[in-house]
Amino acid sequence: MSASVDVLPVQSARLTAGSWAALITLVVGAVCLALEPIAPWLVTWPAAWVLPATDWVGTGLAWFLNGIKPVARLFSDIMAYPMNWANFVLGKTPWPIVIGVVTALGWYLGGLAMASLGFFGLSFVLASGYWAESMNTLALVAVSVPVALIVGGAIGILANEIPRLKSIVQAVLDVMQTVPTFAYLTPLLLLFGFGPVVGLIASAIYAAPPMARNVMLGLERVEHEVKEAAIMSGGNRFQQLFQVEIPSAATQIMVGVNQCLMAALSMVIIAAVIGGFNDIGWEVLLTMRKAQFGESLLAGLVIVVFAVVIDRMSGVLATERQRHDTRVVWAILAFAAVFTVAFWARLPNPSELTLLDPVAQAVDQGLTDFTLTNGAWLDALKNNSMFYVLLPLRIGLDQAVLPFTWGFLWTPAMSYGLFAAGALMALLMAWRGHVTGGLTVLIAVGMLETGIANLPWPFVLTGAAALGWVAGGRRLAVLSVVLLSTILVSGLWERALLSLYLSGAAVFSCAVVGGMIGLASAVWEPVWKVVRPICDMLQTIPLFVFLIPVLMVFQIGEFSAFLAICAYAIVPMIRYTRHGLVNTPDEMMEAAISSGATEWQIMRDVRAPYAAPTILLGLNQTILYAFAMLVIAALIGTTGLGQSIYLALGQADVGLGISAGAAMAILALIADRMVQGFAEEKRKALGL
Amino acid sequence: MKSLSFGVAAIVMAGSVQAADMGAVDEPIKLAINEWTGQHVTTHVAGEMLKAAGYKVEYVTAGMMNQFQALADGDIHATLEIWSSNVSDEYAKKIEEGTVVEIGDLGLDAKEGIAYPAHVADLCPGLPAWEALKDCAQVFATAETLPMGRLVDYPADWGTPGADRMAGLDLPFKAVPAGSEGALIAELRASTERKSPLLITFWQPHWAMSAYDVKFVDLPPGEEACFTDPAWGPNPNAVNDCDFAPSRIFKAGWNGLEEKWPAAYEILSNYQLSVEDQQPMMGAIDVDGGAVEEVVAKWMAENEGKWRPVVDAATK
Repeated sequence: MSASVDVLPVQSARLTAGSWAALITLVVGAVCLALEPIAPWLVTWPAAWVLPATDWVGTGLAWFLNGIKPVARLFSDIMAYPMNWANFVLGKTPWPIVIGVVTALGWYLGGLAMASLGFFGLSFVLASGYWAESMNTLALVAVSVPVALIVGGAIGILANEIPRLKSIVQAVLDVMQTVPTFAYLTPLLLLFGFGPVVGLIASAIYAAPPMARNVMLGLERVEHEVKEAAIMSGGNRFQQLFQVEIPSAATQIMVGVNQCLMAALSMVIIAAVIGGFNDIGWEVLLTMRKAQFGESLLAGLVIVVFAVVIDRMSGVLATERQRHDTRVVWAILAFAAVFTVAFWARLPNPSELTLLDPVAQAVDQGLTDFTLTNGAWLDALKNNSMFYVLLPLRIGLDQAVLPFTWGFLWTPAMSYGLFAAGALMALLMAWRGHVTGGLTVLIAVGMLETGIANLPWPFVLTGAAALGWVAGGRRLAVLSVVLLSTILVSGLWERALLSLYLSGAAVFSCAVVGGMIGLASAVWEPVWKVVRPICDMLQTIPLFVFLIPVLMVFQIGEFSAFLAICAYAIVPMIRYTRHGLVNTPDEMMEAAISSGATEWQIMRDVRAPYAAPTILLGLNQTILYAFAMLVIAALIGTTGLGQSIYLALGQADVGLGISAGAAMAILALIADRMVQGFAEEKRKALGL
Repeated sequence: MKSLSFGVAAIVMAGSVQAADMGAVDEPIKLAINEWTGQHVTTHVAGEMLKAAGYKVEYVTAGMMNQFQALADGDIHATLEIWSSNVSDEYAKKIEEGTVVEIGDLGLDAKEGIAYPAHVADLCPGLPAWEALKDCAQVFATAETLPMGRLVDYPADWGTPGADRMAGLDLPFKAVPAGSEGALIAELRASTERKSPLLITFWQPHWAMSAYDVKFVDLPPGEEACFTDPAWGPNPNAVNDCDFAPSRIFKAGWNGLEEKWPAAYEILSNYQLSVEDQQPMMGAIDVDGGAVEEVVAKWMAENEGKWRPVVDAATK
């Protein structure tokens, strides 16, 4: 808020806050560029100035971890009991009973549709031959989700009871969600010892925040009258909370349960990297190691099936109160029991079922055929994207333009020409009244010339501060600079810039392409019918599965990583864009229609502006998703922070892992806050 | 040298020492199952030997890089195929602490090198001689490496041996880290299917060696002097101008292993497996789709002479 106050006198000089921010950034950038030849430390932070922060973090953490290790081990031993029970129950129950129970539950919650979803979903799992592994995964989820629910619920209630803690809790939740799991697997391993408990805790850490957020939101939204009624009826605080407020927030809390389940399921797979448990994630990893796309897709689809079944069933739990006939439930269960007893001797061992192997092989063969027939143009696509987009973005035009890429060598004269053209354009825009736009164009030209990986650090810090200031006022600006400075002095700057470049390129592409797909889905229903299941699959399938086909077609390198990130991060952009555009309030639509606006005018002048905050939220999610995928993309040879995290995991280097993970979380956090700041502003401007 | 003397010691020990105590036969011995098939074969053969001796055995999946903490804590009791070329710093730390102990070489004769699928010889005539790469670099060039050729190197966490070779031999190649084993295999597969050029850092025994007909480039022998003395080898100004140093494959165990299961410790210490035995089993699993348990059981039945004496020496 303070920003707008500061800006008032300035506006009389016809410069807005944005223009000022852009101008300062531009000046700093220009100065850095001019001084670069005589002061190389402006571009590369000198090694001598680097604080051995990763070592400090390593030593400090090792000391701390050793201190609380006994407690953690005790916890680990305790958790082993429910873990073993869940494993025993799910592993030893004959498969017809498990399928019967899920089908019956489906009927009870959602009638025929849900029952058949459960039945066919689990039948698919059975036919895939991954039954035993799936049950192990399910056992892990069955234990980690209650832990996450309790922890998340407790955090949510705590924040609700003590409002002063709210902002701290929010920050903690952000950290829990943005620090890549790979980064804290090593310390967890040290703490809790080897085995499934580590995976359990990792997934609980990741799954608790959505629960906490929804509990907070739900309790916040409990109506005043309800709260007052509880107070007047004389209940103490405990009774008010558990007998009145939580029940009336139940719907929102159930949304949290649903999100919690989904998050736990996705994280269980990633935690499989450390082993200790023969679950689906381990299978996916094994098949990926052999580059068997068909098989890894099959194993991945098992997870998708679980995710869809759990999502739909818990979704019904959250929205509908109506329950279906229990007599049918008993009938299904009885049938399953009878079936089991009758065919006891002849039940096939689910691990030996290979019904879907031919399909997997066919998919694998299909991939081969595809790369063979389309190799030429795919290579051309890759080379052109590398030469003309990704390389210049990373190392700048002055280094990327070479005789064997663009056909000629970049000369200083061309740089001057480029700057001159940029300046002309900026002047033109300033003259037309878009001062900020013009300055931004100049900054963009400068960045294109230097390349993101070679940006001088004073420029990056100033730019971040400027953006932060415009988006969220002074606090955000200070926060951005302080956090980025920690990356700078800890010596992870270069890698952070590489990560920024790759995720930035991916986010930009996702925003453009995803926005267009979202628009198409909003305008034309059949498009959404096709796009929606693809989105569902992309979001729930283990991320590793993407890597093989991308690699087969485009080989190791940045372009493959770029595509893999896009495949995952584009989903929220599509979903939110469509959601925002479709949900224009009826009265606004009616007003527009009655004023005789054409379909296109409505889209441009009514729907799009109204949807802007939602779309910005989608962008925010896309950024977070891109960072999450960056770590996975290190498996196909990227060189940014993701690689450091993976390296640290391999070397069990706690300091490097946590520092690189923190750096990544910092980048994600800053981007998140900025986009949210802009979204908030938009929402205010719209009067929402 | 160290490994050689250890081997001799092990043989002497096995010869002189009479049957060892069985120890805690009621508790299962946990063996680590890592991420690759060769290791599965190695471990299952060892596990079957222990079972034949009267032990209970449990196979526990464990990430290769992350298993050492588990080994130090006694959550896993032995891991049987560690490659000297690819072992984390953590292993050295645990050995120093004394919580993990090395229990001898596996006897698997491994080779690492700069490799290529056979069809690449048509694209770069003169292979397998390494000198041919000097003129062929253009063939291997890609968008990321232009104007140099591209060498697909090990994932970054395994070190950068390929890059070291290229620098040592002054070859115009840029090494690109693969990120994971799956990425290496995907490169081999794509190259073989599309008949495209590929130069890659690779090793044997590995099922992909035969599946994709992978050949090694002939490099000057990896003698010790090559890694210390720049004057040695074709490039007088650099070290590393030669092939990989021969890698050692060995076994390691929890430090309480010997005390708790003395006979098992002896069996695992003396256990040896050769490439000739391991590679066909890997093929039977990865190429023909057999289950590890069945393939190993078949081998155990047919090759009793190769493993029974080790078990007998420890138990009878």
